[in-house]
Amino acid sequence: MNFVKTLIRNLVRGPSTEVYPFGPAWTPTHFRGRVDFKLSSCTACRACEQVCAPGAIRFDKTPEGLRFMLWHNTCVFCGLCEHYCPTDAIHQTDDWHMAHASSRQYEMVIREIIPYVSCSTCGAKALASAPSPAGVVPPFTAEEIEIQRDLCPACRKKALAERGVQQ
Amino acid sequence: MTTLIQTFSDQARNMAARSPWIYRINAGSCNGCDVECATTALIPRYDVERLGCQYCGSPRHADIVLITGPLTARVKDAVMRVYAEVPEPKVTVAVGVCPISGGIFRDGYAVFAPIDQHIPVDVNVPGCPPRPQAIIEGIAQAIAIWRERL
Repeated sequence: MNFVKTLIRNLVRGPSTEVYPFGPAWTPTHFRGRVDFKLSSCTACRACEQVCAPGAIRFDKTPEGLRFMLWHNTCVFCGLCEHYCPTDAIHQTDDWHMAHASSRQYEMVIREIIPYVSCSTCGAKALASAPSPAGVVPPFTAEEIEIQRDLCPACRKKALAERGVQQ
Repeated sequence: MTTLIQTFSDQARNMAARSPWIYRINAGSCNGCDVECATTALIPRYDVERLGCQYCGSPRHADIVLITGPLTARVKDAVMRVYAEVPEPKVTVAVGVCPISGGIFRDGYAVFAPIDQHIPVDVNVPGCPPRPQAIIEGIAQAIAIWRERL
């Protein structure tokens, strides 16, 4: 019944034309607009790439690390990536000012590289991992988490198994 | 004499630059963007005519072309024919992600997206569909480009 409210407001307040583009425009609070990617939270699980319907999100292997790419000109702003991101690395802002000259169309891209780190035990190449998934509290102390973050998956598995044996 | 012609053509240009007419081509769109385009024009809440432009029914009268849809195989010939009828100088605005890249139809067998392989595009308005204010923003950019070309 929101339209009744709008109707009455228009009757009482007079002209209902929005001032935009000659003034600011009203934006709904949960508007799904331009995507914001937080590199420090990404754990490279690639769930967003899996669920992205138009294939706007892509992960590529580069010598420096795993590259996250999102092209806003293919994105349909459905919000699935944000919904499925376990670490809240992807957010949709309410920014909808995306009209641009077509010469700049390949600038509408987010390119971030999740860097490789070398394992503190065996020196193998591993992806830098992000903080714990949202809403999950791992049964480790903060120092333990920091130590495990520097390990490659194989060494981490070994360290966790040893920890389990000790307890 | 040359100065006179120059002055006359300058004045004509200034007069003409006030009101570009908009023509809308549906290149196989799902109608989402078309509804938003109609909303910007027909509903007094958004009222694109404040920018001095008006939707017209014939491509021969148009200055700015709004294209929606991923250019499906079925409408391609018709779109190319209609687009060729728009007189120069024309400015093309791709509304929605479909004409820009194909959107969810990208790499599909029945679409020829991106549309800029076939038609020169000047302004992109991404969104699925873009909100009316975003289309107005795109049209405002198109008007600026159109004034330069005139």
